[in-house]
Amino acid sequence: MTSEMPPEASTPMPEPGSAAPPFPAAVTVPDAPLPDAPFPAIELEHVSRWYGNVVAVNDITFALGPGVTGLLGPNGAGKSTLLHMLSGLLAPSAGRVRVAGRPAFGDPTIYRDVGLVPEREAVPGYLSGFEFALLNAELQGLTDARAAAERAIATVDLVDAAHRPIRTYSKGMRQRAKLAGALVHDPRILLLDEPFNGMDPRQRIHMMSLLREMAAEGRVILFSSHILEEVERLADAVLVVYAGRLAASGDFRSIRRLMTDRPHRFTIRSSDDRTLASRLLADPAIFGAELVDGVLSIRTNDYAGFTRLIAPAARAAGIRLLEVTPTDDSLESVFSYLVRR
Amino acid sequence: MTAVGAIVGTTLRGMFGRRRVLLMLLLAALPVLVGLLIRLAGGSRDTPEILDALVVRTVLPLVALIIGTSVIGSEIEDGTAVFLLVKPIPRWRTALAKMAVAAGLTAVLMVPPVVLTGVLVSGATGESLGITFGFALAVMVGGTAYACGFTALGALTSRALIVGLAYTLLWEGVLADLLEGTRFLSVRQATLGLAAAWTGEDTGTAALDPTISAVMLAVVIGASFSITSLALARFQIRSAD
Repeated sequence: MTSEMPPEASTPMPEPGSAAPPFPAAVTVPDAPLPDAPFPAIELEHVSRWYGNVVAVNDITFALGPGVTGLLGPNGAGKSTLLHMLSGLLAPSAGRVRVAGRPAFGDPTIYRDVGLVPEREAVPGYLSGFEFALLNAELQGLTDARAAAERAIATVDLVDAAHRPIRTYSKGMRQRAKLAGALVHDPRILLLDEPFNGMDPRQRIHMMSLLREMAAEGRVILFSSHILEEVERLADAVLVVYAGRLAASGDFRSIRRLMTDRPHRFTIRSSDDRTLASRLLADPAIFGAELVDGVLSIRTNDYAGFTRLIAPAARAAGIRLLEVTPTDDSLESVFSYLVRR
Repeated sequence: MTAVGAIVGTTLRGMFGRRRVLLMLLLAALPVLVGLLIRLAGGSRDTPEILDALVVRTVLPLVALIIGTSVIGSEIEDGTAVFLLVKPIPRWRTALAKMAVAAGLTAVLMVPPVVLTGVLVSGATGESLGITFGFALAVMVGGTAYACGFTALGALTSRALIVGLAYTLLWEGVLADLLEGTRFLSVRQATLGLAAAWTGEDTGTAALDPTISAVMLAVVIGASFSITSLALARFQIRSAD
């Protein structure tokens, strides 16, 4: 974030989500219902899943509504297990998983509302991308399956390769073919397991903008990733999973601000860094200021307070702000902090 | 195309895309080649014994095993079954489509070789042709039972090929000849029982009564359908984080 005035100064950040400090095992994120539905689109209640003595998912509770939610965690954290339970491909060992108001496991009717893009599962290599989309449309029982398949192929930008066998596709193209198959019936809920794997930057940008558009139309999109930058760029909310437990949930910046025992750091460029530093240090929430290589670095334990303070303080001192940047507000820092706890 | 039609179409396409289709064709051609050799040697009047040895005892269960364990089992193994199962289709319909493909393909691959082999061995005269067609009909019904049973096995376990081979070679090949009681759980014996009824020939000392054979094969097909439907309804992905 780079601007002459910190955006937070003029546009207050939303209040923290429902992530309760300090990272309880089970938290609830915004549970807006599906359009025209009186229930959350996705609902997990005290869900656990174990394989013999190995606990893959441990007592997780959350609910999701429309928007893009990132399911974030390192490899082996339980993300795929969660997505498999949500897509009805795994039964929970304990707890309740409901999708579109119905039990996710054992009720194939949920698939009218759900589109799934699995990570590992193979696509039949002998089919072309178009044939795969068409097959999905026919299996969904769509009346004009061919038109739906053509739309889905165009949506994922796979028209040029639509009639080539999938076995000749790159990994990124296969991901898009899977997405076409998942989108063909226009589902209200989209579950994606590491959807950006193997995609080049251009494909990622296209896919991200596509998912954002679909979320803006009211769809519920949950995607898993172990890459913080992907989640940060795309997700409205984040579910952080670590060792099978839900470490945190909500807007990731909100989660970050809830970590009151950890300082936030901002770098500032202004017309008079020294004077500005002395002014800021007068505030009790500011407990450190350093001037290194012409860049002022401020440490505070009150993120929102600082964003409200900085602009008036500079204005009162007649100082022009050139740049205010939060330096450790990336998902990487949030995630590494959560994992350490 | 309907959803069931789409399942049938893609399953058939998947089957012919696999290398094992060559193995199936070679197996199906085997009785014909042997029949040709018998014809060249002057022919034979022992059509039931020859068809039992060449088809019912060996090629039929092997072809049905390869087909039956492929229609679902291979898709579960390579992960492509997931795309089929995350669709709003009752699982019993999926099971029915898969079993129809397995049974149909087994019949297509086995009935013509039986007819050809029978004609090569004993000629195309009225009586011998009756025996040949009676046997072909029994092979079609028995092949359906085998294919359905192995389809259910493929839905139940990733080791369906090994379990199926053990059943065919050990249970039917060895135990059914040694222990009389095991005949009642032998698709081969039931197939021979039907063949005996439809050809009017003795198809082997151990063959079951035709009525018991018909009931037994119907039970195998019905139970296989129920098991496959249930296995698909309770299907859980084998991977984990």
